[in-house]
Amino acid sequence: MISNKELQIAYGLAIILLVVGVLSYAAFPAKAQEEPVRLMFKCVAGKILFDHKTHTVESGYGISCSDCHHNLEEGETNPQACGECHEPESQDEDVPGRADAFHAQCIDCHKESGAGPEKCELCHVM
Amino acid sequence: MADNNKFIVSHAPFWHDGSKISTRNYNMAFAAFPAILLGIIYYGMSAVGVISLAISSAIIWELAFCRIAKRPITIGDGNAAIIGLLFGMLLPATAPWWLVIIGTFVAIIIGKQIYGGIGGNAFNPVVVAMAILMISWKDIFDFNEALINYDFDFAMVYPLAALKHFGVSAVDSFSMGDLLMGKQSGGIGATFGIGLIVGGIYLIIRGIIRWEIAFSFLFGVFLTALIFNMTDSARYAGPVIHLFTGYTLIGAFFLATEDSSSPVNFIPMLIYGAGAGLMTVLIRNIGVYVDGVIFALLIMNLVNPLLDKIKPKAIGKVA
Repeated sequence: MISNKELQIAYGLAIILLVVGVLSYAAFPAKAQEEPVRLMFKCVAGKILFDHKTHTVESGYGISCSDCHHNLEEGETNPQACGECHEPESQDEDVPGRADAFHAQCIDCHKESGAGPEKCELCHVM
Repeated sequence: MADNNKFIVSHAPFWHDGSKISTRNYNMAFAAFPAILLGIIYYGMSAVGVISLAISSAIIWELAFCRIAKRPITIGDGNAAIIGLLFGMLLPATAPWWLVIIGTFVAIIIGKQIYGGIGGNAFNPVVVAMAILMISWKDIFDFNEALINYDFDFAMVYPLAALKHFGVSAVDSFSMGDLLMGKQSGGIGATFGIGLIVGGIYLIIRGIIRWEIAFSFLFGVFLTALIFNMTDSARYAGPVIHLFTGYTLIGAFFLATEDSSSPVNFIPMLIYGAGAGLMTVLIRNIGVYVDGVIFALLIMNLVNPLLDKIKPKAIGKVA
């Protein structure tokens, strides 16, 4: 037996939480940060989680922007995302495709500094 | 005869002790509150949005179904609200609004109402919804990808995903204290270990959930993980990681104990819980899915009617 009071509580709950829910979704849309914290690259060989922040902050590896974002002009602070030029299938001989660019960038640096994963399965996750 | 008093029944009028389904359900919401609160502290208004929308849409689906099917309006018992609440707790804070609404539709309509409403469902509605959604939109439930823009003072790698993909050494840095304090990525209300345990114990003391199921589930996870770990500690993580990550704790106290999809007798409850714990670790360690709690519970829900065939001996009957 369900009393009227219980029904009223349920109606009230539904209405109030609907309003709160809709407002939360509308007023606080998920927005990507200026500088990414982590990035998830997706390709046919699975996903690669890249911790952007750990690579850039001083307490991490402290790599400067221009070390990776190689087309950064002097004084420019807003680097392009890698994928803007390095497309999955490269038509241009001077611009390596996305996979080649990432492989070169990541693995070479990891080898050079003697740290970080070099083997496929240490980055690629199916 | 051990206790003859059991068979003495006084005559009418009887006195209702005042317990109601709604009291049970709102007690569950109360018990779940600490875990949700920590989720809201971490993920802010996104978490509030997911939980609120989940609860309200679950109530609205049930109301709509009752009206269309011309059945009595049952939303007053709070069961729809608790299904929405638990479902919201399992989601990542970034879950899109349409996913929440589809999820509560699956939970309320497919998981519960088509079986005839509360008490008739063979499977836990929340688990049914999660299973269908996890298979349909697996990227949204990849916590590493979903929570990519959140930055806290702890490693935001989903422990079970790290364990599955990179082995035991990848989860060495997670200490038991941090995991219990909710310093791990995961569902909104599924990461705060201490909150879930305290909430679970509160429900056990109030007699709302059965300790037999909750503890045998945790024991099943512990023992299976321990056996795996002892056979090859380089490949399989120890019990601590399995007990305090993913959906283990919320599964033990809030999902496995759902009334209508779990057994009622002592031995069956122990088998049900331990079986779900065993399946959980099997799926995590040798299955393809990152977390096994949802599918393990679904399988044990399936076995539940068989388990309930194990009945206690009738008292006083000559063998």
